[in-house]
Amino acid sequence: MGGQACVFYGAAEFSRDLDLLIPADPVNLGLVASALDDLAALPIAVPPLQAAHLLRGHAVHFRCRREDVAGLRIDLMSSPRGVDDFGRLWARRTTIEVDGETLDLLSLEDLEIAKKTQRSIDWPMLERLLQQSFFGADAAGKDSAMESPLVDFWLRELRTPELLMRVAAGFPFRAAAIAPSRKVVALAVTGHVSDVAAALIQEEQEERERDRQYWEPLRRELEQFRRDRRITGKSEPCTS
Amino acid sequence: MRAEDLVGEEWAEWFRLTPAERFAESMKLWETYLALGGSLEPEPDCSSPFFDEEEWRENASHGRPGVRILRRGGVQPGS
Repeated sequence: MGGQACVFYGAAEFSRDLDLLIPADPVNLGLVASALDDLAALPIAVPPLQAAHLLRGHAVHFRCRREDVAGLRIDLMSSPRGVDDFGRLWARRTTIEVDGETLDLLSLEDLEIAKKTQRSIDWPMLERLLQQSFFGADAAGKDSAMESPLVDFWLRELRTPELLMRVAAGFPFRAAAIAPSRKVVALAVTGHVSDVAAALIQEEQEERERDRQYWEPLRRELEQFRRDRRITGKSEPCTS
Repeated sequence: MRAEDLVGEEWAEWFRLTPAERFAESMKLWETYLALGGSLEPEPDCSSPFFDEEEWRENASHGRPGVRILRRGGVQPGS
């Protein structure tokens, strides 16, 4: 769900770690713990790998020590803010083959939601992912690309003023349907490109603020985990 | 509207690659980065809710040696 997925869909993230979305049920966590053991991975930050922490929205961080992957960081999450439950994400996943290995990625639509964070680096990437979706469909010359689901996705998510205005102008009825839930779409129909750009910046700031508010209690929990670790000299056990 | 006109030649070219080609290009960059001794520790990111400076310092020392600047050339202030 991290940089590798973004590269697949068209952004150019240089990711140094591996971000995995996992279901936080006991059976799967047992399998994950076993895989981490195989990689000689050790936890490198709070919190420990426990279902309760993952379901709260925390990420759990490991570093591998096995020779062929030494130093590689693996971050695990189960419920990033705003994304659907794992079963639905899994049903919508994209499956690719790389060097004979099968890899499952978050769908582009779900990746867009997961990346709407308070972090500055995620927002230019969101814009690139949508640009690629738009120009990729355009280049493929698919009439089917202009069907409602993709148009609706662009109207909901595009972050490039010129492209949003173009889609809104081309599909005024779809734009009118989506405008009540995304203010910038109404502007994209009637406004100037500079107004749309300003509204997109405002939209980003509001979303980042929502993410900060969402994380406020979780940050306090992380600080408490860190204090506990400093006092006891170690965190809770690695796995549940 | 052409991608080149909006995002420039380089990005337009990147967008034209297939996902598999982008993945392969990314892996080449990755191999070069590792060959140069690049660190596997993510850059410090103060805007990340996970970021803790102390934790990052502890981990940075375990994320491989990293690329260090031994000598920096260029124009010096006042020169």
